[in-house]
Amino acid sequence: MKSIRSRLNLTIISTLVLILSLTAVFLYFRISQHVIKVYDSALYDKANALISLTELDEEGLEFDFSEDGVMSEFELGEHAHYYQLWELGRDLLIKSPSLMDSDLPLTGIALGKHHFADLTLPDGRAGRLIEINFVPRVEMDDEEEIVEIPQPKPISMVYARERKKLDDTLFAIGVTIFSIVVIVLLATALLVWHLVGRGLLPLSTLARQVSEIDESSLSARLRQPGNQSLEITPIVDQLNHLLQRLQSAFEREKRFSSNVAHELRTPLSELRTLSEVAQMMPEDRQQLIKFFKDVGEISNQMEKVVITMLELARSDAGLLHSDPEEIKLSAICDSVWQMAINDYGFGKKLVKHIPDGLIISTDREKFSMILSNIFVNAISYSPEEAEIELSVEIHSENLVIKVKNMATDLRPEDIVHMKDRFWRKNKSQGETSHSGLGLTLVYALARILKLDISLDLDNQSIFMITISGVPLVVE
Amino acid sequence: MKILLVEDSVRLQRSLSAGLKRHGFSVDQAFDGEQALSYIRHNRYDTILLDLVLPKIDGLNVLSTLRNEGNNDQVLILSANDQTEDRIRGLDLGADDYMVKPFSFDELVSRLRALNRRHSGIKNPVLDISGVKIDTVSRLVSFNEQVVNLTPHEFKLLDYLAHRRGRVFSHDQLIDQLYDAASYVTRNAVEAHISSLRKRLKESGAPGLVKTRRGFGYLVE
Repeated sequence: MKSIRSRLNLTIISTLVLILSLTAVFLYFRISQHVIKVYDSALYDKANALISLTELDEEGLEFDFSEDGVMSEFELGEHAHYYQLWELGRDLLIKSPSLMDSDLPLTGIALGKHHFADLTLPDGRAGRLIEINFVPRVEMDDEEEIVEIPQPKPISMVYARERKKLDDTLFAIGVTIFSIVVIVLLATALLVWHLVGRGLLPLSTLARQVSEIDESSLSARLRQPGNQSLEITPIVDQLNHLLQRLQSAFEREKRFSSNVAHELRTPLSELRTLSEVAQMMPEDRQQLIKFFKDVGEISNQMEKVVITMLELARSDAGLLHSDPEEIKLSAICDSVWQMAINDYGFGKKLVKHIPDGLIISTDREKFSMILSNIFVNAISYSPEEAEIELSVEIHSENLVIKVKNMATDLRPEDIVHMKDRFWRKNKSQGETSHSGLGLTLVYALARILKLDISLDLDNQSIFMITISGVPLVVE
Repeated sequence: MKILLVEDSVRLQRSLSAGLKRHGFSVDQAFDGEQALSYIRHNRYDTILLDLVLPKIDGLNVLSTLRNEGNNDQVLILSANDQTEDRIRGLDLGADDYMVKPFSFDELVSRLRALNRRHSGIKNPVLDISGVKIDTVSRLVSFNEQVVNLTPHEFKLLDYLAHRRGRVFSHDQLIDQLYDAASYVTRNAVEAHISSLRKRLKESGAPGLVKTRRGFGYLVE
C-alpha cells in the first residue's frame, strides 16, 4: 500500500519531469534551429561572396575566388572548404583544389533558389553544404568598345564546409539544457518532497494517532495536529465523536455481558452446590426436599430472566408488534394487580382512582406486562403496608396513567439508571426475584405500543411512573 | 474448623452450610455485611467465606474493616465477579483465596483444608503422631494400618488438637472453635467426646494422644 505522500510525490515529480523534458526538447529544438539558421546564413553569405566573384565577360566565365592566394580555405588542408560549380546543372565548370578527385553532391534546384544539406566531406568530416543556382554577373567595361558577350547560363554552385563548430555548439547547448533540467528537477523533487511532507504532516500525525488506538485504548481522543485546518478539523471532530460512541458501545456491551454472567453465576452456583451437596446426603430426606424446592425456585428465577432477555432481544430486533384491541382499563388493572399481589404477597394495597367504563385500545398482553412489572416493583420496593396509588387523567383522545408508591431507598440520582439493563438499587441477590430487567422491558414494550414512560421522585420519596399516550376509545 | 459463611443467597447458604457441616466444619451464617462484622467481632473463625455483593455493607468493605481492626482470620472470597481486577482487589485487601461462582463444592472443601494446613504450618494432609495417622482428606484415623472408628465429633476434636500440637485448649475454647453458634454444646459434652476419643484410640492399641492439663484444658503433645 502506497502512502499519499509517495503518490503525490511520484505524480508531481513525474509531471514535472514530463513538462521539463518537453520544455527542454522544445527549447533545444528552437535554439538549434536558430543556431543552424545562423550557420546556414553564414554559408549563404559565403556562397554569395563566391557568386559575386563569378563574372562573365567577353572571355567567358571568370572565377576570381579561384585565383591563387585569394581564398586559401579552399586549398587542401586540415580545415578545408569546398566548392564546385556546374553549368546548366551538368557541365563541371570548376571545383576547389581541396576536392581533388572528389565531387560534391548536386541535386539540381531551380534558378534563384538555394537549399542546405548535411553531408560527409571528402576527408570524412561531417559537413554542411549550400546549393545555389544563379546566373553569373556580366562584366561590362564602359571605356572599351562594345563587344559581344555570350548569353549567361545558369550555374549551380555547391559550397560546403565542416560543421564541427555547429555540432559542438549544438552539443554544448544540449548539455547545458540537460544539465539545467536535471538540476531543476533534483531541486524541485527535493522541494516537492519537503513541501508535500510538510503539507501532509497533520494527516500523518493523525494517522499515527489513529493507528495507536485499539480496543484497550478507546478512551483516548485524537488531538488536532498543528493548527486547525478546514480539512483536518472536521475529520478529527468526527473521529472523536465516533470514538466516543464506540467506547460507549464497548462499555455497554462489556457491562451487559458482565451483568448477564453475574446474573446467571449465582443461580448456577446455587444449583451446582445443591446438586453436589445433595449427593453427599442421599439419606437426609428432609434436606433433599428443601433442596428440590430450592432447585424449583432457582429454575423459575432463571426462566424469568431468560424470558425477559428474549423479549428484550425480540424487541431490539423489531420482532414484536402491537396487536391492539379494546380493553376495559379498570378490569385489566384489577387482574394484573391480583396476579402481582399473589406472586409477591406482601400485604400491599392498591388505591385505584379509575372511572368505570374507561376503554382503551392497546395490545392486551404487552400492556399487561407493562402494568405487571410496574406493580411488582411498587409492591417489592415500597415499605410494608404501603399503599400503591393508581390514577388516570383523561386528555381528549388518550389517557395518562400514574402509579405512585413510597420508595424510601431511592435517590434522585437513581432515576436516570432505572431503565438500564440489570440496574438494581441493591446489587445483592439476597432477594432473588428481581433481575433488574423489569423497567427495561417496560420501556421496550412501551416503545412498541407508542406509549411514553416517565419516572419521577419527589421530596417526600414518592416515586411515580407515568404512562402517557394510552389510546382512549370514545363511545 | 470453624467457618463463617457470609452469603446473601438463602439457598446457597442452606446448601453450602449443610455440605460443609457434612465435612466436619462448624458453620455460622451471616446474610449481610453488617451481620458478618458483628459475628467476626464476637467470635473467632478459622476461615471466613465471604461473598462480595452483600446487602448493607459489601464484602470488600467487610474485608477491609476486619483487616483494619487487626483481625487475621483467613478469608476466602466467593464471588460471581470473575474479572482479574476483582480478584486482585480482593486479594490485595487481605483475602487469602478467591473462588469464582459457580464453583465445585469439593474444590471449595479442598481449598478450605489447604488454608487450614497453611495456617497450621503442616503441609502434609496426613498427620502422623506417634504412629497415629490422621487423614484430613478421607477423615480417617488409623494406627498400625488398622482404622480407628471415630464419630464426626471425635474426629473433629482430634483433628483440631492435632493441627495445634502443644497448645492447650479449654472447654470453652473448644466449644467456641468446633461448634457453630446454633449448636448447644456443653462442657460435659466436650468431656464426653474427649473421653470417648481416648477410649477408641486405646482400644486400637494407639498411644493416648490427648492429654489433660488439669485446670487448663486439653492438648495433643
